[in-house]
Amino acid sequence: MSETEQKLRNEAMTLLEQGRADYIIGYEAGSLKFTTTPLITRDKDDIDRLVINPFILNNLSVFLGDISGKAGIVAKGCDSRSIVSLIQDQQLAREDIVIIGVPCSGVIDLNKVEKLTGKDRDELDDIAWAGDKAVVTIEGAKKEFPAKDVLMDDCLSCDMPAPQEYDILLDEVGPLVCDKELSRSQIKELEEMSPEQRWEFWKNEFSRCIRCYACRQVCPACFCKRCFVEETEPQWISPLPKWQDNLIFQMTRMIHVAGRCTDCGECQRSCPVNIPLRSLSKKMEEIADELFQYKAGTDKDAPPLMAAYESEEAEDFIR
Amino acid sequence: MKKVKKQDITRLLSQWQKEFTVFVPSRENGAAEMTVWDGQDVSFLDWYRNTVIPPKANFLLNMEIMFGFRKEDGSYNLELPAAATQKQLVFGIRPCDARATSIIDMVFKDAYEDKYYLNRRENTLLIGMGCLNPYDSCFCTSLGLGPAEATDVDLMLTDIGDDFLIEEVTDKGKELVARTEGVVEATRDDESRAGEVKDTAYKKVTRKIDTREIEKRLPASFDNEEFWEKVAAKCVSCGICTFLCPTCYCFDINDEMLKGDGARYRNWDSCSFPLYTKMPAENPREEKWRRVRQKVHHKYTFYPSLFDVIACTGCGRCIRLCPVNWDITQTLESVPAEAATGTEKK
Repeated sequence: MSETEQKLRNEAMTLLEQGRADYIIGYEAGSLKFTTTPLITRDKDDIDRLVINPFILNNLSVFLGDISGKAGIVAKGCDSRSIVSLIQDQQLAREDIVIIGVPCSGVIDLNKVEKLTGKDRDELDDIAWAGDKAVVTIEGAKKEFPAKDVLMDDCLSCDMPAPQEYDILLDEVGPLVCDKELSRSQIKELEEMSPEQRWEFWKNEFSRCIRCYACRQVCPACFCKRCFVEETEPQWISPLPKWQDNLIFQMTRMIHVAGRCTDCGECQRSCPVNIPLRSLSKKMEEIADELFQYKAGTDKDAPPLMAAYESEEAEDFIR
Repeated sequence: MKKVKKQDITRLLSQWQKEFTVFVPSRENGAAEMTVWDGQDVSFLDWYRNTVIPPKANFLLNMEIMFGFRKEDGSYNLELPAAATQKQLVFGIRPCDARATSIIDMVFKDAYEDKYYLNRRENTLLIGMGCLNPYDSCFCTSLGLGPAEATDVDLMLTDIGDDFLIEEVTDKGKELVARTEGVVEATRDDESRAGEVKDTAYKKVTRKIDTREIEKRLPASFDNEEFWEKVAAKCVSCGICTFLCPTCYCFDINDEMLKGDGARYRNWDSCSFPLYTKMPAENPREEKWRRVRQKVHHKYTFYPSLFDVIACTGCGRCIRLCPVNWDITQTLESVPAEAATGTEKK
C-alpha cells in the first residue's frame, strides 16, 4: 500500500468518525485486471478497501446526486472541476461535500495499451509506471512505452491535474506528460474534412449507437432528473436507435454540457461501441474557451456559462 | 467426426455463402459483432474471442418494423413485412451465446409465438467455434457448460492446430457437412487432440459462482433492501449490461407516422432504465436498487421458476463492458445466507 493510500484511508476514517461525512465515495480494487471500481459506503469497515492507482478512471462526482447527507469524495483534477460545476449549477451545496483531492498524473488508456501490444487487457501480466514510461509485462517479458502513448487523450491535454477545489489534499501533483497536439489529433482530422465528409463520418459513427445512454449516465454534467429523450409528451426524439435520432440525442447532449464538460473522458471511455464522443465534447470545450475565455468548473462563484450574458460579449459566435 | 483445414475456411465459407447469408465476427464497424461476410476476410480467426454485440441481435434485431400502416379515409391499412425467409448462417458463435439463444427461444415460443424472432431462428444455422482463450470475466463453467462444448449449435468447430475438428450436432448440421467440399473424416488422434484442447479451455475459466447456493439464498434476499441498496450504489443505470446480454430479450414498441404513412417498430428495451416501468400513476422501480434487484432476480430466480433454467450463461459481457465494473458474480456471491427480515414497505 502506498503512502498516499494510507493517508487517504486515515482521512476517510476520520471523516466518518467525526461525522463530517455520512458517506465516502472513493475507489476500490476492481474485479478485473487493471480496473478499479467505485466504493460508496458509510461503513467504517470498508475504508481499508480504498485505493489510489493509475486506473482510477471513473469520475465519481456522478454519484453525488444519489447521496442524501454529506459525502467525502475522492477527486482528481477533472473530477474536482465537475464538482465545482455542479455547485455552480446549484446541484450541490459546497458545505455538503468534503473533497479529498488526489494527485493525478494521468490515467492509463487500456485501449491504447491493447493496440500497442496486440493483446487484450486480461492477457497482460502487469502495467506499471517507471518515470515517464509505462512498463507492460506480457508473459514475463517487459516492454516500455512513452507515457504519451498510453495516457488517455483527455489526460494528454489536461491543464489542471491538481484539484481546483478541495478540503484535503493528499499529495503534491507530480509532473504530467502533456501532448496537446496528440490529444486532439482526431479533432484536427475532423476539422480538415469538408462538411460533407464530416457529415458522413458522424453518420457512420452514430449508425452503431445502441442508445444504452452510458455516455449520459456516467457524465456528471448530465444531471437532469429527466432527460429530454425520455419526454413523451411531446416526444422530442424517437427512442428508436436510428442514426438520425442517435445523432440528435448526442448533439443536444453536447450543447447541454457545453461549459460544464471538464474533459474527464468518461463518455468516450464508457461507450461500448467506441464512438469517439470526446471529439465533440473537447471541441465544445475549446469553443467555450475561445469565445468566452471560460473553463468549466474553475470558479464555484461564477455563474454557469450558458446562464450568463454580458453586453460586451462578442456576437460573432453565430457563424 | 469430421475436420477441415484451417487454410480452407475461406473455401468453406464461400460454398456456404451461395446458400446462406453468412455472418462472421467482425470489428470493421467499430465494435465486434456478427456481420455479413465480405467473401474474403477471415482475419477474425486471429483476434476473435467474443463479440461485443451478442448474436441475439441476429434474431431479436435492435430495431425492426413489425408492420407498416397508412391512414386512408379515416381508417388504417396495415402492411405486414415479408416473413424473414432469408437463410442465414452464423459462423463462430461461442457456446455461451449459443446456449443463451436456446434459453430465450423459450420465451419467444411460450404462450405467444413470436414469428419475427422464430422465423429468423428457424432459418438460421449456427456454426459454433470453441472458445480456447476465455476472458477473465467469463464464468460459463459455473452455469453448466464448457467454453468449447458442442451445445446448442448445428456444427461445432474446435481448433486442433492445422485443422478444425467438426462435430455434427444436429441433422441440419450433418446435411450441411455432407454437401460441403473440403471436409474430411477426422482421425482418432484428431478427436483426442480436441478433447485435450477442450479440457485446457475448461480449466482456463477461473471465475466461479456456486449456483446451488445462489438458488437457495437469492429468493430470500428479495426483501433485503439494505443489501440491494448497497450492491446497487455504484450502478449508473445505463443499458450496457442488459442490451449486450445474450439472454436479455426485453423490447419496447413504438409507432412512427409522417403524413399518414407510418410503421410500428420494436426496439431493445432495458429494465435498467426508470422509464421501463413508468406508468401514469407511479413507477414501481423508480429507485435504482429495485432495478438492479430485478435484473439479478430475473436471471437467477424468476426465469428458473418459469423455465427451469438460469437465464445467464456466464459470457461475462456485463462484467467486462460495465463502465463501473459492476460485477454480477460478486453480487451473487455476497447474497446473505440468512433470510432477510422483510424491510421493504409494501
